Amino acid sequence: MNRTENFRSPLLGTAMARADMGDTVVETDRPGQPHRGKVFAAVHAHLDDVPRYAAGLCAKLIREGYTGYLIRTTNDEKCGGQSTAQNILRNEQEHFKVAAAIGCKDVFELYYQNHEMDAVSSLDIRGRLIFLFRFLKVDTVISFSPWGPGEENPDHWVTGRVVEEAAWMSGMPNDFPEHMEAEIQVHSVGERYYFHAQPGQAFNRVIDIGSHIEKKIASLVECRSQGGGNLGSLLRARLANEGKRLPLLGNDDRTADREYVRQFLLDDEREYAQAHNLAFAERFYYIDQRQLAKSKVDEYVEKNVVPL
Amino acid sequence: MRRRGFLGRFMTTGMALSGTAALPTPLTAQEAQAQRANLPTRFTPAAYANPPSKFNPFATPDYYTYADDLAIERNQPGKPHQGKVLAAIQAHSDDIPLFAGGLVAKLVDEGYTGYLIRISNDESAGRTLGHGVVQNEIDNQEVARALGCKKAFSFYYRNHRMDDCAEIEIRARLIFLFRVLQVTTIVAMDPYNHYDENPDHLVAGRAAEAACWMAGGPKDYPEHYKAGLKPARIREKYYHARSPQGHNLVNRIVDISSYIDHKTRGNVANQGKGPAGSSGSRLRDELSKRGKRLPLLGNDHDTADFQYVKHFLMDDWRILGEKFGLGYGEAFRYIGPAPDYRGNISRYVDQHSVPL
Repeated sequence: MNRTENFRSPLLGTAMARADMGDTVVETDRPGQPHRGKVFAAVHAHLDDVPRYAAGLCAKLIREGYTGYLIRTTNDEKCGGQSTAQNILRNEQEHFKVAAAIGCKDVFELYYQNHEMDAVSSLDIRGRLIFLFRFLKVDTVISFSPWGPGEENPDHWVTGRVVEEAAWMSGMPNDFPEHMEAEIQVHSVGERYYFHAQPGQAFNRVIDIGSHIEKKIASLVECRSQGGGNLGSLLRARLANEGKRLPLLGNDDRTADREYVRQFLLDDEREYAQAHNLAFAERFYYIDQRQLAKSKVDEYVEKNVVPL
Repeated sequence: MRRRGFLGRFMTTGMALSGTAALPTPLTAQEAQAQRANLPTRFTPAAYANPPSKFNPFATPDYYTYADDLAIERNQPGKPHQGKVLAAIQAHSDDIPLFAGGLVAKLVDEGYTGYLIRISNDESAGRTLGHGVVQNEIDNQEVARALGCKKAFSFYYRNHRMDDCAEIEIRARLIFLFRVLQVTTIVAMDPYNHYDENPDHLVAGRAAEAACWMAGGPKDYPEHYKAGLKPARIREKYYHARSPQGHNLVNRIVDISSYIDHKTRGNVANQGKGPAGSSGSRLRDELSKRGKRLPLLGNDHDTADFQYVKHFLMDDWRILGEKFGLGYGEAFRYIGPAPDYRGNISRYVDQHSVPL
């Protein structure tokens, strides 16, 4: 059963404390800035991962008060159609533009070798993410599902796995206790949104991104080295050479790229939305591990405690 | 004789380093030993045997190879190292006290701020694994205190299994600490320690060596800089050997005569393992049960522990020091600050530039 719910309670209520099982929840826009003071880290392996799977969610959370950071784990050297070195530079430059398009405050690059992250020490990656989660005081992570089937790219599942591990360990004082020497304190990550990146991957949350679709498109068009961000202008140029034009693509390259993305690259988002009478949606596997205000023991003690 | 040539170079170049002095007397002990060897006269020895005291299983290694610019580092008056930061890195709680405790105490006394970093959890020593880990954790703190270090850190990797750890992670943690503590000098196990049977030593040495270099770089772990950390410029390294299998290149002998009691106390602090700890008081108790006493061990446990360590376990460093005319000595492969290449070129340009 699918259920549409606009979260009215900031802490979701105890009944919703763990939404990692059961019904699919549709998360629509929330008025005001209910997340003010909270921080998310969107961790992807490649330039176009967050734009493709989660840019709408990121834009929505920032609009609702989150401070967002974008972390890329690889150097994207294999993508861009140029030399390996030039690919690294172009993807690096475009990554900053993607973060700006979404509204992220800052960008971090770990530059592990593209397509080869399964040979990298996951301990090193995890250690760096723990450092960042603590330093940035990350409350929520957005990344690949560590357990999602169908991921042929090892960078994806390695990134998802280390994000999950780091999100847990960043709250534990005996992991990397030397961080405290720099006054970087332990910090627990309470919420996780894992991408629905491939058919068959689990999801339990549908995000209404209708009012954020322009930002998602803006982030996608910055993905020119990979992700199809410049396909519109390339098509427009080809047609012009043939003495033709496609009205959809407008009169300039920027419009062509944006409209190409809107017309051809958002079919999944439309399909995910359709079942919920929305315009555009993204899917996630959401896990809420925030501490409940009162534990079952607290509640029991409160009800049953008697004077000595 | 070639040997004399070697010693001649040794003595003239040994004066080059500031704060150091050349060997004042010939290596009579080594020459005497060489005469006992079966080495034909046409060969020049490439390594020199260290006669052991046979009191300590973990002392000076079997052989040293001495560089011809070997220098003796003696006490320096005042606090010449004020403002500098020392990281003494050890795999186990007894490594630094045994092999470099005198040096660490000396440098701290001369102004360094010292930190002790232990890489393993020392679980392989103790009544049970749990007891061993706890005792060695305490010991590491006590060693730091005995040597004058400001603070001790432990990474707690599994003892004797560090070759199964991700070296890159250990290195990353050291880079972080070097940056946050602004380390300028390290003391560590020689990463090229020949014949070392303990993998923890080699891993710790390699990780420390690589971390020294990378801690100063802008592109390694740049996220540290966004968190306000600064690059660490490690300008000096002291690598120590590990006995008994070692064969190490040595270019610095440190006179630790004034710090032998600090070194002794650092070793007494190792209650959880190693040859020191409370061995003296245990021997005293055992003799007492047999109706005997050893005057050396005094009248209480503290004295017994101290005297046992100083008399028996420090003897190898006395023998080493004696070769160089010192009371006690420790041997190191020392790597000093890199030359000011750019400054040298600038000075050359200034001196030799002519008008167009």
